[in-house]
Amino acid sequence: MACSCSSASFSPLRLLRSRPLLKRRLRFHQKTIATATNFTSASLSDPFVLDIADKLEDSLSLCSTSCPSVLLKLRDSSSQSLLTQRWPSAKEEPFRFTDLSFLKSSEILPAASTSAIHPAPSFSFPASNFLTIVDGCVVPSLSRLTSLPAGAFAGSAVDVPSGHLYETVFAAAGEGFSDGDLFWNVNGFGAPDLAVVYIPEGERLVDDPLHLRFCAAEATEAGSGRLLLSNPRVLVVVGKGSELSIVEEHLGVEGSGGACYWSNSVVEIVVEEGAKVSHTYIQKQSMSAAHTKWTFVRQGKCSSYELIELSTGAKLSRHSLHVQQLGPDTTTELSAFHVSRNDQIQDLHSRLILDHPRGYSRQLHKCIVSHSSGHAIFDGNIKVNRFAQQTDAGQLTRTLLLAPRATANVKPNLQIIADDVKCSHGAAISDLEEDQLFYFQARGVDQQTARDALTFSFGAEVLARIPFEPYRKSVSNQVKQLLTAG
Amino acid sequence: MAFSLYFSSHAPHLPSLSSSSPKFIPSKLLFAGFSGSCCVCRRRNLPTAATLNGDAWTSGEEAAGTGQRKVLLEVKDLRAVVAESRLEILHGVNLTIKEGEVHAIMGKNGSGKSTLSKVLVGHPDYEVTGGTVSFKGENLLDMKPEERSHVGIFMSFQTPVEIPGVSNMDFLHMAYNARRKKRGEPELSPIEFFGFLSPKLAAVNMSPKFLDRNVNEGFSGGEKKRNEILQLAVLEAELAILDEIDSGLDVDALQDVSKAINGLLTPHNSVLIITHYQRLLECIKPTFVHIMEKGNVVRTGDISLAQLLEREGYRSISAV
Ligand SMILES: Nc1ncnc2c1ncn2[C@@H]1O[C@H](COP(=O)(O)OP(=O)(O)OP(=O)(O)O)[C@@H](O)[C@H]1O
Ligand SMILES: [Mg+2]
Repeated sequence: MACSCSSASFSPLRLLRSRPLLKRRLRFHQKTIATATNFTSASLSDPFVLDIADKLEDSLSLCSTSCPSVLLKLRDSSSQSLLTQRWPSAKEEPFRFTDLSFLKSSEILPAASTSAIHPAPSFSFPASNFLTIVDGCVVPSLSRLTSLPAGAFAGSAVDVPSGHLYETVFAAAGEGFSDGDLFWNVNGFGAPDLAVVYIPEGERLVDDPLHLRFCAAEATEAGSGRLLLSNPRVLVVVGKGSELSIVEEHLGVEGSGGACYWSNSVVEIVVEEGAKVSHTYIQKQSMSAAHTKWTFVRQGKCSSYELIELSTGAKLSRHSLHVQQLGPDTTTELSAFHVSRNDQIQDLHSRLILDHPRGYSRQLHKCIVSHSSGHAIFDGNIKVNRFAQQTDAGQLTRTLLLAPRATANVKPNLQIIADDVKCSHGAAISDLEEDQLFYFQARGVDQQTARDALTFSFGAEVLARIPFEPYRKSVSNQVKQLLTAG
Repeated sequence: MAFSLYFSSHAPHLPSLSSSSPKFIPSKLLFAGFSGSCCVCRRRNLPTAATLNGDAWTSGEEAAGTGQRKVLLEVKDLRAVVAESRLEILHGVNLTIKEGEVHAIMGKNGSGKSTLSKVLVGHPDYEVTGGTVSFKGENLLDMKPEERSHVGIFMSFQTPVEIPGVSNMDFLHMAYNARRKKRGEPELSPIEFFGFLSPKLAAVNMSPKFLDRNVNEGFSGGEKKRNEILQLAVLEAELAILDEIDSGLDVDALQDVSKAINGLLTPHNSVLIITHYQRLLECIKPTFVHIMEKGNVVRTGDISLAQLLEREGYRSISAV
């Protein structure tokens, strides 16, 4: 099943071939550079980046026989940024601690969307609504949507009926985001499809979550030096006063731990006035994979957004989270639990912007680094701007380093400009508490069992927040296994 | 018979004394403590005692009557240092506890009472540099902390640590199953364990809602102490070392806790109570009272020693 399969039933009207935009731009760009008298090195194109873009463009022109105009527009604006963007270096603050050499040293190839069969990922959960996205393309045959509220939509953008919904989606997707990094732009340029979730005004989908499953169909063997890149992209629009629970799950390639691929996803969520979104994000990619992801959330007034993040997979995992409160009385709650084991990077860069009165936010970041070569990174920025009076913002990060030389770089930071606010933050990096270990032993529990119990309990606080029992159980078991596997 | 035991200076069951020539203060009260009928009455009056104890006490009476009490714990010339700084805290402690006895240790702040109890349960902050400790004839110092628990020693912590993320129920269940496993008995399922636990909860007068809470997290001082006794009840230790179990308890809680402890006492197990106040010793009658000073047991006597302390302070003890 190929990526284009999802377009098989589409109206011929949208069967537009994507134009080799980048190549034209590039030629133009090079000419400009050649004729310019004073150009800085920053404006020079980066060959590594261009090579990725070039290959993406080729693969897209092959596969996307149909492309919704939303995507075309996105591709257009992303290509402009890509041309001037360099591969991130450690000299830039956002990448100061994140070692991207795994990506840089690999030959990046677009995940060809021509593979014949998608492995049917096992349906581990009895969710009545799930959408499966394979290598960036919505696969209807692997999706099931049985109980969406009236007027709701979940599927590929090419299937969005024209009319109000189409316009809403188009408008939401069109709102640019200027703080995106290279990965944001690579996704914008390379996304072969756009998955759309829409809940109309006043509707609810909460008791049974909508499950978004991201899978990679194609992978190379670890050590091959090649990485297959896919760019899944999702847009979620939750209408006024509506409620939505989503579970976003990134699954590894089944059967082999050594599967190598690069999943570079973007999830955009628009929470309209008075709406409530509960977002559970589970990242369990294969241990040789790279996982870079953006979550971009815009919240209307009186809305509430809660994110519970569980990240245990991938060799390199980087989550860039940007939440913007666009009106007063808005609530944002972010919790994350990361596990970083052997030769694994777990990175969360988050930015929460409070611009309006009476905002409320809580952020809890917890991370366990269980091996010497494990690395945890947290850069959590909360900005309380001038008009965000009576804001109540709290931030707490705790890291457990279980092995000598295990590394954590944490940078919680609150920038407060408003003067009438209640803000608190804290950071702690530690090993297991000797006193707690001894308490177990004194009651007859051996040291290893005690260590395991304490290590697991460290993350229990976040795990307990997963709103759905089957997911909570499954993730808890998985974490337990990871942590006791040594 | 109690008299003869007491005055026989070479009797191995006597609490051994430190080198600084402590003095005995014999008293009738001492014997009332374990051979008198008042003790029996007290226990019979306690419903909790009955729950926990069954009819063990009756058979214990006989054991006591025959003078067959076995030595449970024997500490000889115990020296211990703080592992990190090598500072010596215990300078040659001697103490012998037989089954069925209640011992109390009193002493000024910083005299080494908690250190002694922690050393006995193998706390890693301390290192034993001299002397011996045997428990039921086995060398205790060779054992890991969890093994000491398995052979039947329990210490309630002066300040029990909080363990966020681990429920009290899970903790007790783990501890209980670890012991069963050690004994080659099948582990109990959560439901079976709850059945086992319920009467213990009742005995310490604790609400089951404490089972769902994380271990000691946010517990009041008194609730933590009660939780320690619950653990003791679950683990059914033969030697309970209770480090200031009475501190921070309100009047009713003190009654509850001492009732529970009395209820756990059988002629075959023993209690070592560390306390600053006579109050608790009025509820749980000690067979012997020891005074610690600067890392040594300097005096051993009966409850009158505690009464003297209460009236006149430590100066009176040093002056004798
Ligand atoms: N880990 C340690 N590091 C340094 N000093 C210690 C340590 N443990 C105990 N000490 C010191 O040893 C001495 C005895 O302490 P310990 O806690 O045993 O006294 P205590 O008799 O229990 O006092 P209190 O009645 O106040 O509980 C004190 O001076 C104490 O500061
Ligand atoms: Mg003490």
